Amino acid sequence: MIGNRVRAIREADEVGAIRIRWIPKYSLMERVLHWGHTAAFLLLAVTGMVLFFPFLRPFAVGEAGEMVRVAHRGAAIAYGALPLVYVILEPRRTWMSVKSVFKISRYDVEWVKGMIPYYMFGKHEAMAPQDRFNTGEKANAVVIILGSVVFAITGLIMWFGKGFVPIGVYQVMVVLHDLAMIVTVSMFVVHLYLAVVHPLMWAGLVSMRYGVTSAAYAQEHHALWYYGPERAKEIYEAQKAEAQSDQE
Amino acid sequence: MSRVAMLIDESICMACRGCQVACKQWNDLPAEQTTQRGTYENPPDRSAITWQLVRFREYVQGENLQWLFLTEGCFHCGTPACVAVCPTSALKQDPDLGIVTVESDLCNGCGYCTQFCPFDIPRRDADVLTGLGKAFKCHMCQDRVTNGLIPACVKTCPAGALDFGDRNEMLAKGKDRVEYLKQAGFPNANLYGEQEMGGLGRLYVLKERPSAYGLPEDPQYPVLEPVWQNVVQPLGTLAFGAAALGVLAFWAIARRNINMEEVE
Repeated sequence: MIGNRVRAIREADEVGAIRIRWIPKYSLMERVLHWGHTAAFLLLAVTGMVLFFPFLRPFAVGEAGEMVRVAHRGAAIAYGALPLVYVILEPRRTWMSVKSVFKISRYDVEWVKGMIPYYMFGKHEAMAPQDRFNTGEKANAVVIILGSVVFAITGLIMWFGKGFVPIGVYQVMVVLHDLAMIVTVSMFVVHLYLAVVHPLMWAGLVSMRYGVTSAAYAQEHHALWYYGPERAKEIYEAQKAEAQSDQE
Repeated sequence: MSRVAMLIDESICMACRGCQVACKQWNDLPAEQTTQRGTYENPPDRSAITWQLVRFREYVQGENLQWLFLTEGCFHCGTPACVAVCPTSALKQDPDLGIVTVESDLCNGCGYCTQFCPFDIPRRDADVLTGLGKAFKCHMCQDRVTNGLIPACVKTCPAGALDFGDRNEMLAKGKDRVEYLKQAGFPNANLYGEQEMGGLGRLYVLKERPSAYGLPEDPQYPVLEPVWQNVVQPLGTLAFGAAALGVLAFWAIARRNINMEEVE
């Protein structure tokens, strides 16, 4: 945060004003989807865990428990409907995002290698250039998208299938639903940490709130998106060479 | 008191359905509006308000026709899967008598019991859309039994097909009866429930194989129950704990090591 501000100050030194150049990143609908989905996810997690964790049993009991189950279903409708509404409103943007989220390149492998030193020790020299979403964000999106598909299938069968599907099938659905919950909620914990708590990761939250990101941040963290593949590669190679010579 | 059981002798049952009515009367359950389906079997299925039901089956073997009756109700398993999966502990097994009951005030209607019972016993009065409702089933008249009476269905049976008492006594009686039936020209006669599901609290003396009565020949405890309760649930706790602790550790390390002034 401060680093970018420092750069911004240097840029603006002659003018004598602090100026950050903001560029658009997320559309209004994308942000509504993100926060609506987050709210539904949290409500689903809380109401679902009441049946999952033995220590939360007091909340699952009797009429209160029935209300919790109804709330879970209501939240499930929101959770399923929001992405569908978004797809109808912004089909091209959806396709673009989904494509970039599921695209894996060698930059992702290098990003994963550099991830620990970067996030733990702030070693930011020569991180592999990233597209509009970085590898971590992509992993989060993939886990949530695939998890949601599992939730939808198993959830609908558990909701409407009682008495229709064989009990063996139903039992598998219960276990899969729980496994999907474990994976997605664990992912959510990590996502929450990187997006809100981590000292370096200030820009993501700003982008998700206001839809914009600083050009300086985008240059460093989303070079592939900011510069395009060729220029990003040139810069990356140059940075790597520089880091190499620094070591020697 | 030790474990109790009902012994139902289907070779004596004449399908008067007195047990069905007595069950409704004692438990204050309303009648069901049904239509004539061309059979004495009525209502068509057990439900949240019909816990005991006599099934009528026409069993044809070559030239032989047998009319088989089966008084359906909860089996009160020795190892009840419904009790294991119930998230609210509404389903309980009496530690002495072995009777399995649902406590309505605790039940939230999740329906796991209906989906893990190998005999399809618990039934809900739940609305499909909202899922509001509760699970119900036969409780072997626990209220009567603990006060020195016998279950209402057993009390009312005019043929003496239903018997109730100490489980070992009932087993002995049932075995004697099976021996008698074998002598009397029912070579397939058998006692159902001695070993199944940890030993059932509802024992049947049957003239034919259990499958002829629509009973599972070898009811199995749901394999996924222990996987779910003993593996997946602790795994979840572990995963969340690991994620939370990992994040905390990362945060501590990152805070110490990242000099914000240097970052550009």
